Amino acid sequence: MIMCLGARAELKWEQTTVELHPAPNDKQAIGHFKYQNTGKTPVHFKSVHASCGCTTAQTQKEEVPPGDKGEITATFNIGDRTGTQIKTVTVETDEATNQKTVLTLKAEIPQQLEVTPNFVFWKQGDKPDSKTINIKVGKDFTVKHIKVTSSTPDFQAKVEDAGSGQFKIDVKPQDTNKVVASMLTIQPEDSQKVFYATARITNVPTAPVAPAGQKPPVAPAAPTAPARPTAPTGQTH
Amino acid sequence: MKFLLARQAAVLAAVALLPAAGEAIYFRNNISWRSAIAPSEMVTLEQARAWGDAAIWVDARPDDEFARDHVPGALSLNEDRWNELLPQFLAVWSPGKKMVVYCSSLSCNASREVARRLRKEAQLPDVYVLKGGWEAWLKRNR
Repeated sequence: MIMCLGARAELKWEQTTVELHPAPNDKQAIGHFKYQNTGKTPVHFKSVHASCGCTTAQTQKEEVPPGDKGEITATFNIGDRTGTQIKTVTVETDEATNQKTVLTLKAEIPQQLEVTPNFVFWKQGDKPDSKTINIKVGKDFTVKHIKVTSSTPDFQAKVEDAGSGQFKIDVKPQDTNKVVASMLTIQPEDSQKVFYATARITNVPTAPVAPAGQKPPVAPAAPTAPARPTAPTGQTH
Repeated sequence: MKFLLARQAAVLAAVALLPAAGEAIYFRNNISWRSAIAPSEMVTLEQARAWGDAAIWVDARPDDEFARDHVPGALSLNEDRWNELLPQFLAVWSPGKKMVVYCSSLSCNASREVARRLRKEAQLPDVYVLKGGWEAWLKRNR
């Protein structure tokens, strides 16, 4: 029994959780999970599986001889994600015990501006009162001024500095009788990064609720869609 | 008396420990930090289908999976291209519509995240996560 235990393969991980702090323009966050086979027999990787399509994981080798070291590299594609992101990689080996190990990649994605809400709308015929979009500057950033432009003249946007790293954008439609949409481009001064909000006049739907068992719904055709934003290079939000 | 109380407390603690240990072992590979979502914000396939045209189906999976196949009429809205896809989605949304967000399976997290952002960032009401995701839809429809 003791001999059996002594001869077993054992993969020891230096750490199973890696915390990363990518820079604002980074497109990827890469974590390295180092291991060593401290047993007396080789260890084979049976599978390495990431928790989401946004993360890939690579092993350097399929077999780890006794005493050998190596690492698994987990690459998280940030895309337009924000805030705290936790992704996992499940590693399965042929060890007698601990066949499954969950490696955790925690990334804090910095956010220069928080735009809430990023969508304001009026129903057709509503009173054309202004609505407010709140802008909060991220804790690691300094933004003194922001510039807001509307993609169409159907909406007016006025910026007000609310102090303490916050701004207010008052959005006012010219006329709520026609169904229109506009993209509001929000750009911090001295920054290449651009943020977006949408303003729209919606028509009031009259579709009745269909009975159970009906075929899956088809989304209605888009009305006047706002101009699609073309993300500038390096944009992460 | 004190001894009796201590013994009862120990017995109760041991009884409580059994299911806790069982759960910890059974769910050891589950991710405990999945976005929390209230049961009222989840929807079954049957419920979602019953909404008919009053629902907008939102596919939170990556582009390649959406391109391969998706719920007929679903709109793609994933976090890889959130800034680009959200305005397209908002151009189609209309008041009173219910949104049914799905990702690949019961264990995926993308639909929860997309639903959370629709509620928090766009401040849209009636956003639901489909129980079982695309797998559940496939099972029922193929």
